[in-house]
Amino acid sequence: MDTFFQQLVNGLTIGSIFALVALGYTMVYGIMKLINFAHGDLVAMAAFVGLTIYDRFLGPDTNSFVSLILIFISTGIIIAFAGILLERIAYKPLRTAPRLSAVVSALGASLVIQNGIMLIWGPRMRFFPTDILPSTTWNIGGIHVSFIQLSILFLSVIIMAGLIFFIDKTRVGTAIRATSLDHDASKLMGINVNNIITLVFIIGTFLGAIGGLFIGLYYKGITFNMGWNYGLYAFVAAIIGGIGNIPGAMVGGLLLGVFKALIAGYVSSVWADALTFALLISILVVRPTGIMGERVAEKV
Amino acid sequence: MKFTDKKSIGYIVFITALLIYPGFADSRWLAVGSTFLIFSVVGLSEDIILGKGGMFNMGHALFFGMGAYTAAILNKFFGMPILYTTPFAIIVPAIFAILLAGPIIHLRGDYLLVSTIGLNIVFIQLVQNDLFGITGGPNGIFGLDIPQVLGIDLGSPTAVYYTGVFVLFLTFLIMTNLDRSKPGRALHYFRLDDLAAKSIGINTSAYRLFAFALGAGIAGLGGVLFAIQYSAVSPEAFNFMQSVLFFSIVLVGGSSIPGILIGTFVMFVLPEIFRDFATWRYFIFGFAMILAMVLRPEGILPAKFGKIPAYMKKE
Repeated sequence: MDTFFQQLVNGLTIGSIFALVALGYTMVYGIMKLINFAHGDLVAMAAFVGLTIYDRFLGPDTNSFVSLILIFISTGIIIAFAGILLERIAYKPLRTAPRLSAVVSALGASLVIQNGIMLIWGPRMRFFPTDILPSTTWNIGGIHVSFIQLSILFLSVIIMAGLIFFIDKTRVGTAIRATSLDHDASKLMGINVNNIITLVFIIGTFLGAIGGLFIGLYYKGITFNMGWNYGLYAFVAAIIGGIGNIPGAMVGGLLLGVFKALIAGYVSSVWADALTFALLISILVVRPTGIMGERVAEKV
Repeated sequence: MKFTDKKSIGYIVFITALLIYPGFADSRWLAVGSTFLIFSVVGLSEDIILGKGGMFNMGHALFFGMGAYTAAILNKFFGMPILYTTPFAIIVPAIFAILLAGPIIHLRGDYLLVSTIGLNIVFIQLVQNDLFGITGGPNGIFGLDIPQVLGIDLGSPTAVYYTGVFVLFLTFLIMTNLDRSKPGRALHYFRLDDLAAKSIGINTSAYRLFAFALGAGIAGLGGVLFAIQYSAVSPEAFNFMQSVLFFSIVLVGGSSIPGILIGTFVMFVLPEIFRDFATWRYFIFGFAMILAMVLRPEGILPAKFGKIPAYMKKE
């Protein structure tokens, strides 16, 4: 039973990272009906940018709490700019084009970012310093919970609660929901659709950047091509929850994280990918639009 | 048949160029040429599913790999001459296409896309972990027999190339006949309007599976050639990135035979030409993909009017 609870804690940690990244996929999909394949690579880029900021500007002398806040904010801003740039160059010209054209454009953008990271930071694995965060670990009835895990869980919950409040209760959030339903009708209601799309990219990439930094802080080692793997898992999480659905992405992320950790604990991590996708396909066979996705009637 | 119009002249020039190419190419470029032919065949088979059938299949390397592995396993473990494995390498992926696509064929666009990605990843992991002890694990299977016909070796790079040309022409024939056949017309119809097609009694699910099976079978044929060319098969050659390549070939080129050929050229041969740029290669290539879609959102040579695939229509 210890293994179970231990893997549950590990799974919730990685699951909340998946959920943060999945939110970027699902929000962009909701508003543009586009699978943003470059999102995972922006997440990877965030980890590298954060590490560089730490190495170059902050270093071990700065108070680690202050430096962490600075890293998260500045990395988030840089990655959000990259996200805006991505939307302007690769997606905006294709807004009226056939849907799959934008998918290919996204795949191209993914190659650009991934290889851009390699050109700037090199192909080898880089490591986050271990002394950024206290390495305290608590032992609760045989289950090890580290400080990093607790912070990731705690921060993710706050961020997601904030996002749900923002989307559901505020004026801008309402505009985002309206735009994802119908671009033209929203324009008629006085919503600036272009600004809303830019805003969604900013929020999505900012959350992704936080996810990327969590990956760096939790796993330490980061590689230029890790975006594909994390991106794919986050994307699967978004699909499981019902893509376009914000709470769905959160549920999907946590579910997937726990599932993956249980496989690692009970089966073997060499089967993690295969079993994850088997789970995904089984869910889609039973519920064709994901767990929380609404059924859309076909327009005639 | 007229041979004076632009289209026929284009084909004659293309066929002549294909036939005399080995006379000019050194060994590396001959291998690139053979792989170009194989990828064109697989690209055309993906077009049956993605372009003609309008189903978002991003796991096509699965069927390509299944064909290659069927040939390799039958040859290595059952001692069957590699050319004789061809029918099996066509039938096995086709049957699996029906079994695997059957439960997910009703999914809407993007959900189908991610499911097919999933199928591809499951396949690769099964092969890599060597579940049945016959796939050779991460290293794959190597040292396959050299194909022979009437005692003549067909293993030389030139012979492989001309076999590729033959298979490509065979695929052309299938594609043009498909457009004129009943299933081809059905595909064409339900891609344009699924509901209307259903309401006049076209069994759309059956034709969808037919398209999957046909595409998978042709991809399997391409897989045999690939196994022959390298006398080996390994998991990386059929992974998800390879599916992305076939997917992009159809979309960058456009859903037509010349479109697919251009798509294969752009997506596979151009990166080979720019190999000297080494690390910059895929950085620039990514930009080229974006540029291609921004400038030609419907592909470089899209299908003509009346053959507009579903993915070109906005929802």
